[in-house]
Amino acid sequence: MRSAEPADARDEDLLVRVGAGDEHAFRELFGRYAAVAHALAFRSVRQAQLAEEIVQEAFLAVWRTPDRYDAARGSVRSWLMGTVHHRAVDAVRREQAQRRRAEQASGLGPGIVEDPVDDVLAAIDLPRERRLVRAALGELPEEQRDVIRRMYFDGLSQSQIAERTGLPLGTVKSRTLLAMRRLRAHLGEGPR
Amino acid sequence: MIRDHASIDELLAIRALDGLDEADAALLERELAAHGDCEECRRLEAQHAEVAGMLALALDPRPVREDMADRILAEAQAPGAAAATPDELAGRRSARVGRWQAAFGVAAAVALVLAFVLATRPDAGPPVPGSVIVPFQGAGPGEVALAYTPGEPGALVWATGLPDPGAGNVYELWMFEDGDPIRATCLAPIGGAVAASIDTDLSSAQLMAVTVETSECPSAPTTDPLYTAELDSVAQ
Repeated sequence: MRSAEPADARDEDLLVRVGAGDEHAFRELFGRYAAVAHALAFRSVRQAQLAEEIVQEAFLAVWRTPDRYDAARGSVRSWLMGTVHHRAVDAVRREQAQRRRAEQASGLGPGIVEDPVDDVLAAIDLPRERRLVRAALGELPEEQRDVIRRMYFDGLSQSQIAERTGLPLGTVKSRTLLAMRRLRAHLGEGPR
Repeated sequence: MIRDHASIDELLAIRALDGLDEADAALLERELAAHGDCEECRRLEAQHAEVAGMLALALDPRPVREDMADRILAEAQAPGAAAATPDELAGRRSARVGRWQAAFGVAAAVALVLAFVLATRPDAGPPVPGSVIVPFQGAGPGEVALAYTPGEPGALVWATGLPDPGAGNVYELWMFEDGDPIRATCLAPIGGAVAASIDTDLSSAQLMAVTVETSECPSAPTTDPLYTAELDSVAQ
């Protein structure tokens, strides 16, 4: 089934149409978020082919099971990014387990030098959404930003972060919560 | 009835970032179940999910292949594909990678042997038709080289005569795309020699580099390259 929809259609409406088999709605949703999803997957897994597969599988799941989206749990965007992130983290941790089993002297490292926050000063020409989020990250105290970076962008679990930083697990948890609260306060309802 | 949401708030924040350990994930489920139909729980969950979802926007978008949407719709409509669940898809992906790695392992072993033969025959061609052998340049002792087939994922890297990287250290191979380093693999030589296959697609890489890193294999280089190879300059 196909139908036209305005370019500014709400994500939620597009998803309803996807549920009805509307390919145009799917393509519109894909066009809005595929590149961001790809960046997120690639940032975590660091392998181009694997990142593409993660994005493809995530959107395939969107097409097949759009009814998994629950508006009470957040926006379509957050659901979509959560789907991609969850798959990417799975892949990262699977790789870690394989490395351990192979007794390779490897594993995911401590923080990543590349950091979106490093680009805050250069963000003046960036789209508003990216500028806002980078500014919010830049406002965090370094120790909170580091936890967010390791957990979200590097795909480490709370205990892995505690192990690698030497921090008590409770400190990692509390810093995560404080960081999320600060981000929420800075971003408010955020770009939708 | 007033319930304490402090613990749930913390665990929901970590879950939104996919950072929960299994034990805490189970604890969260128990806490949520105990709260039952809890409006505050839903509010906190939605808030944290929203913030987590927005974090992805901090990254520079990475374009996908133009035909990806077509391929997704085609796969969705393929006969017998409707029953596939996300977990099944992940399993298929692992199986694909595993099969590929197994196949590549054989090819890599052959290429490795031929590559060492080639090392004594500088005028000979690459070991596999269409493949490219890229020698690394560096001031250090030893030799590093890479073999791959342009347009196809995967490569073989090998080295001989490498000095000991030091206790707790390994060599790490990087590919650079537009100046951004991307981890390819870590190399732990034995007696100065090492060979490894990687599944990375080198088609968009302009430069390869080897650094000495800690055995944790950091996600970005922390030392200067010892060996480098420019892929763009390879003329085959």
